[in-house]
Amino acid sequence: MFLFDWFWNVLSFLVIMMEKMSFVTTFSLIGHSKILNLLLTTIGLYNKNAKILFLGLDNAGKTTLLGVLKDGRLSSYLPTFHPTSEELAMGNIRFKAFDLGGHESARRLWKDYYPSVDAIVYLIDSSAQDRFVESKKELDSLLSSDELANVPFLILGNKVDIGGTPSEEKFRAALGLTQTTGKGKTTLNGVRPIEVFMCSVVKRYGYAEGFRWLANYL
Amino acid sequence: MSFDQSEDRDGVRFSWNVWPTSRVEATKNLLVPLGCLYTPLHQSPEITQVPYPPLRCKGICNAILNPYCTIAPPYKTWVCPFCLQHNQFPPHYAGISDVNRPAELLPHVTTIEYQLPTAETPLPIYLFVVDVCVPDDELQSLTDSLTMSLSLIPENSYVGLITFGSMVQLYELGFTSCPKSYVFRGDPPTNTFKIANLMQKVGSPETMNLQSKRFLVPVSECEFHLTSILEEIQKDPCRVASDKRPLRATGMAFSVASALLSTVASNMGGRIMAFVGGPGTSGPGLVVSEDLREPIRSHHEVIKGKTKYTSKAYQFYKSIGERSVASGHAIDIFSCSLDQVGLYEMREMVKLTGGYMVLADSFDHPMFTQSFQKIFTREDNAFKMGYNAEIQVCTSMSLKVCGAIGHMSSKNNKTSCVGENEIGIGGTSSWKVCALDQNSTFAFYFEIANTQQNAPEQLGLVQFITSYQNSFGKQILRVSTIRREWVQHTIEQQQNITMLANGFDQETSAVLMARLAVFKAETEELPDITRWLDKMLIKLVSKYADYRRDDPTSFKLVLNFSIYPHFMFHLRRSSFLQVFNSSPDESSFYRFMLNRENVSNSLIMIQPTLEKYSFNGPPHPEVLSASSISTDSILLLDTFFHVLIFHGETIAQWRKAGYDKDPQHQNFRDLLQAPKDDAAHILKERFPYPRYIVCDQHSGEARFLLAIIDPNITHTSNTPQDPSKGEIVFTDDVNLHVFLEHLKKFAVQS
Repeated sequence: MFLFDWFWNVLSFLVIMMEKMSFVTTFSLIGHSKILNLLLTTIGLYNKNAKILFLGLDNAGKTTLLGVLKDGRLSSYLPTFHPTSEELAMGNIRFKAFDLGGHESARRLWKDYYPSVDAIVYLIDSSAQDRFVESKKELDSLLSSDELANVPFLILGNKVDIGGTPSEEKFRAALGLTQTTGKGKTTLNGVRPIEVFMCSVVKRYGYAEGFRWLANYL
Repeated sequence: MSFDQSEDRDGVRFSWNVWPTSRVEATKNLLVPLGCLYTPLHQSPEITQVPYPPLRCKGICNAILNPYCTIAPPYKTWVCPFCLQHNQFPPHYAGISDVNRPAELLPHVTTIEYQLPTAETPLPIYLFVVDVCVPDDELQSLTDSLTMSLSLIPENSYVGLITFGSMVQLYELGFTSCPKSYVFRGDPPTNTFKIANLMQKVGSPETMNLQSKRFLVPVSECEFHLTSILEEIQKDPCRVASDKRPLRATGMAFSVASALLSTVASNMGGRIMAFVGGPGTSGPGLVVSEDLREPIRSHHEVIKGKTKYTSKAYQFYKSIGERSVASGHAIDIFSCSLDQVGLYEMREMVKLTGGYMVLADSFDHPMFTQSFQKIFTREDNAFKMGYNAEIQVCTSMSLKVCGAIGHMSSKNNKTSCVGENEIGIGGTSSWKVCALDQNSTFAFYFEIANTQQNAPEQLGLVQFITSYQNSFGKQILRVSTIRREWVQHTIEQQQNITMLANGFDQETSAVLMARLAVFKAETEELPDITRWLDKMLIKLVSKYADYRRDDPTSFKLVLNFSIYPHFMFHLRRSSFLQVFNSSPDESSFYRFMLNRENVSNSLIMIQPTLEKYSFNGPPHPEVLSASSISTDSILLLDTFFHVLIFHGETIAQWRKAGYDKDPQHQNFRDLLQAPKDDAAHILKERFPYPRYIVCDQHSGEARFLLAIIDPNITHTSNTPQDPSKGEIVFTDDVNLHVFLEHLKKFAVQS
């Protein structure tokens, strides 16, 4: 998976280059995704299409993750109301990611996006321990939904950069995720792939491994 | 006279209040377009009202007698300042003398309202178009709101009802024995629905008028019947599978509604009020298929031109809008859903007609219920509304109008006032507006036509003539005549620049640029627009700032330019020009509102206001930046769309500990109450009703604040993380300081 890392290196190089260019270009912060697509097309990586939902409670970091994946930039966003989607490419998968609002009333909408979904990325704010029960409840209802029975689940324990977050073991225990299908690529014979990865979108680590794992099952 | 004084009196604010004398000079020096924002129904106690019709110039300009006309003893004629035509006063103006003048010639009466002696038209008509594919509880809430509105609508006003789901039902309210409706197929074999199709269906063409009271009936005569119909409205009976969307014939519903009004009430003020709870999935104007596996289009598909239904639907709704404009009716859309309903495709219909657009989460959310109620409760004596209106612009010969940006449509009236360049809706000097209220504001853009070096002999004048039907069915003609000075031409170039600079209104300029940027966003790519804004800003400040070449530290902006770069900084970050995390429907709504409001409300949208409440003094406005956040204070944020009360960490702890309940802490209770009172005041005035949030520092909802403030403290900045100095924002975005530093650097470059 060196390509993924190579890509990030290239991207950060490009960002530095752009910063060195004129004022006008420096502030035209959109456009990275074009470079991204161009890069990936030229090295022939576009060959899979998948529909992935980003779900989780409000303030779990879904939109921030989508923003970082889209153009490598961290930004602060308003809570999401209408669902939005972006086309992304990572490794050898090209996918359409749907970012759905996480506040209580918006969760009613999640089920409209279940048909023909290929994977779910479920984000949990690992620093908000007081909301683990609520998050577990939503996750459990997703996992027990008939429509999502065979859909792979990538669980991201986000915001581990914030002090006082629990260890992965404690996090798994709190969410009832002590038994998962393993971080390597395994043949599961009909068992739904599900795995937990701790990450920090702000510090940009952890989630890439998660997506690499997920790519095995798409 | 200060800029807002002129706004108070005439409802007009210009970007430049001293005008360059020649076209060449204008191109060189006006780096923000010459334009104004005009609020036709702006209310002021100073506005004179007269019960007689106006005198019009018989020349080509068709302008109206005003204080800038030349009159001299023996006061038999007047000279029009626009076309220099000499006009005779009619006999009833014979008494004019030095001391005795009719109101419209008094120097301070620059804005006047004439009441025209034409026959009264019926009161505004309301045609409700109701989506029945919504959950039962929401349908209940919607019909409750509609029933409530019947008690607020004047009893002589005509109302009508159409419901739609898989079919469209037009109710014959005049038939009171039992609910009777005509049912139309949601997906007709031909995609065009003409008035003839309607006539064929409902029969008896001789009854298709207001007098026969079939489909449109005065509230006083149908309130009981309509209330009982509303009570019995059922959810669409069509069964919906779990992987399907309900069949919703939105396009057909609008077709029937606009055909009905065009036939029965052409050229009478009225509005189609549509309550839409989901996307159109059937018949003409569908925006997504019935199958949930196919998601509705998002921005990236729109940008790449990969949408399946959008352009066809857009054209379809636009044509309905055009038909409504021709017959003078406004179209309102209340989009009440957690997901998109297709506002992006339908927007043109609302924009062309000057209707309302409301975006809410559901029909039981205050953003809908309060907004809807406001339309009727405001519409009394105190709140002015206008229907079936027309705005005409006259300019002095050295000035031409390039176009307008706002919710209106062109009358294609290419007079001699029309300029060569086109900005916005151009090529005309009159526009139709089917509905307006006292906030409706239109941007007009002008160009200097004078090719001579010397200042024109004529006065610099613009006259706005707005005719409309008021809420009581009376025809009103409102005339505002605005004069601005030309630059007193000197050989010294720098002096001319100083004179122009003194007349620069940075607030109006920011709003005119924002409207132009949003107009461009309809056809151009957003990065290009941001680049254009940057270029214009650099050019403007390098022309008007004080500095030594190549020395950024010497850079200084005079007072009336000083906050313009801040507006541009916030504008380029705003949801008007950034679409990530917004749906096409949301972007359409935000941009719609920017194109509707006056200068002060538009500025709140561009650069939201922040008010700070603490024990260290009275409430005061704060800079919109991360360093304004402190643990021991409360902030009130107003973004126009959201009103947020933000409790700092310490305040939140005290509140959770119940200190406000302790009789000893009256001042803490007062501190908690003060922002609530101020927020209540905003909520009362604001339309549409904003999202109201009360939250604590570090909570999820604090993002409403963190996403829009200037991120001058971030996780990467080296400032010590001292909570009393502000809040950390997790972002790579550039902050205002860096933006301004770059701006200085580029502005002083030789």
